[in-house]
Amino acid sequence: MNPSHESNEKPREGLFEPPDKSLRILCIEDSDGDYALLREHLRDAAFQVAPELVRAVSLQNAVSLIEESGRTPSFDLILLDLSLPDSHGPETLDHVNNVAHRVPVIILSGNEDHDLAVKMVQRGAQDYLPKHFLSGDLLLRSILYALERHRSRLEMSALNERLSKATHDLKTAQMHLIQVEKLDSLGRLAAGVAHEVKNPLATLQMGVDYFKRREDQLDESGLMMVKYMQEAIISADGIISGMVDYSRSDALELKLQSPNIVVRRALSMIRHEIIKHNVRVESDLTLPIQDVSIDEGKIAQVLINVLMNGIQAMVGAGVEPILHIKTLFGKIEAIDRDLGLREYDRIRVQDMAVVIEVRDEGPGVPQDKMNRLFEPFYTTKPTGEGTGLGLSVAKNIVDLHRGHFQISNVENPRGFRVRIFLKARQSTGASEALSPELALTVEALNETESKPHIP
Amino acid sequence: MRTPRILMIDDDVPLTQTVRINLEDTGRYEVRVENNPRNALATAREFQPDLVLLDVVMPELDGGDVSALLRSDPKLAKVPIIMVTALVSNQETGQDASIGSGGQIMVAKPIHFEKLVLVIESVLSKAQ
Repeated sequence: MNPSHESNEKPREGLFEPPDKSLRILCIEDSDGDYALLREHLRDAAFQVAPELVRAVSLQNAVSLIEESGRTPSFDLILLDLSLPDSHGPETLDHVNNVAHRVPVIILSGNEDHDLAVKMVQRGAQDYLPKHFLSGDLLLRSILYALERHRSRLEMSALNERLSKATHDLKTAQMHLIQVEKLDSLGRLAAGVAHEVKNPLATLQMGVDYFKRREDQLDESGLMMVKYMQEAIISADGIISGMVDYSRSDALELKLQSPNIVVRRALSMIRHEIIKHNVRVESDLTLPIQDVSIDEGKIAQVLINVLMNGIQAMVGAGVEPILHIKTLFGKIEAIDRDLGLREYDRIRVQDMAVVIEVRDEGPGVPQDKMNRLFEPFYTTKPTGEGTGLGLSVAKNIVDLHRGHFQISNVENPRGFRVRIFLKARQSTGASEALSPELALTVEALNETESKPHIP
Repeated sequence: MRTPRILMIDDDVPLTQTVRINLEDTGRYEVRVENNPRNALATAREFQPDLVLLDVVMPELDGGDVSALLRSDPKLAKVPIIMVTALVSNQETGQDASIGSGGQIMVAKPIHFEKLVLVIESVLSKAQ
């Protein structure tokens, strides 16, 4: 027990200031005598403004008063007798705490039980006062200390919350850094491996070309072998080229270009595939949007990759292949903090952005695989049909442009959507008058979206 | 007109040999191979090629060094050089030749032999 409770000294001035507003105190006490005595003590206590005392005679009564108070917190303090007609013992405190969140509770008890006192403080009570010790001074002191301790506790829990949020952010950033470092090492390794593998591949190609010229001297098995060897070389070269692109994409040749022109260029480069698979291309490139500073070739490479993925997904699923392509221009209203990308020069909230959106009507990607799509060498395609480098290279290129590469499954119609956010020059007002400023939201990469953020 | 002479300078022996066999197989070129870049200048002076196929990444002297050496010799200074390199990808060269930042003609390894011949023919015709 705190010895100060037994002291009759007046609280030292400056140690605490009695609150200058009226405290709203709920007293949960079934005994009329004890309540009358308590009221006397409170009257004796040197409060600057007399507290407003509300009485409950049972736990149920208290719960109703708390719930009906219509305030948060319902009361400034609760004085609680543990022995009530409808509740008895330590559980009484638990019941009260459950209903009156964030209200400090002082236990008033008929007996001086040290063990129980400690137990009650451990369960969240601010103090435990034996009724026969009560005096005005003691009550005042206990109440003011309780309020102060409670305020500190709330502050601490708010700080704790901030700390755990900061820890979470730090962890996210750390994971991102580790990923970047991992990919960087992979890139350097890839460049070395790529160079060493290309020479033997070149030799094999020369051998294959030699035999191709002598096809008339080969039997059927020989012809088949040459064909498979050729396919193997092309496939290996594709992987190796992807690795080289991946490792060298840090050099961008930036110039101002209209995203619409880049989209048209990318489409023209895969014209063959579009015709071959009878793909319907629904493009809306009519919005007058700002030119952006981009490496046209690299962004075209990203688009070709995204468009080809869409075509392959739809052809693979046996659905009618329809590609929707549009460009948008607007202000970034929100960026999901879980993206973990907060470099100073990356697109931020309130920045103007150009968005290139490609949507297919394929089956989409299972949620559990979404997060892995950007891992190098991860592929959802059958062996031999994808190197698993395409999307990671594409994202890398967009990252180098300080933009965001966002993927999501969409509904109505069902499909997979890629949005490439590229930073535009800041809004100058007049020149953007033609372009409606749309609210853009950059979400976490693995979110399924049911309602589009862009009309 | 004499048969065009092609000198291939690359430290990769199997590659140079398979390229040589293919080029000779066409019956249109006289081919010499040099696998040691240190001997490149001497070989070129002796062989007097009409065109050089030059690797970029080689030990001791790289393609840039060898190119500079050849350019320093008055009799070789105007011989066209095609850089055959694993440093660029076929995606970048468009499965064909591209012009490097220094003005050199670049082809990516692995290149199809027919495409290599197309590039060689195009360069030779311009050099005449």
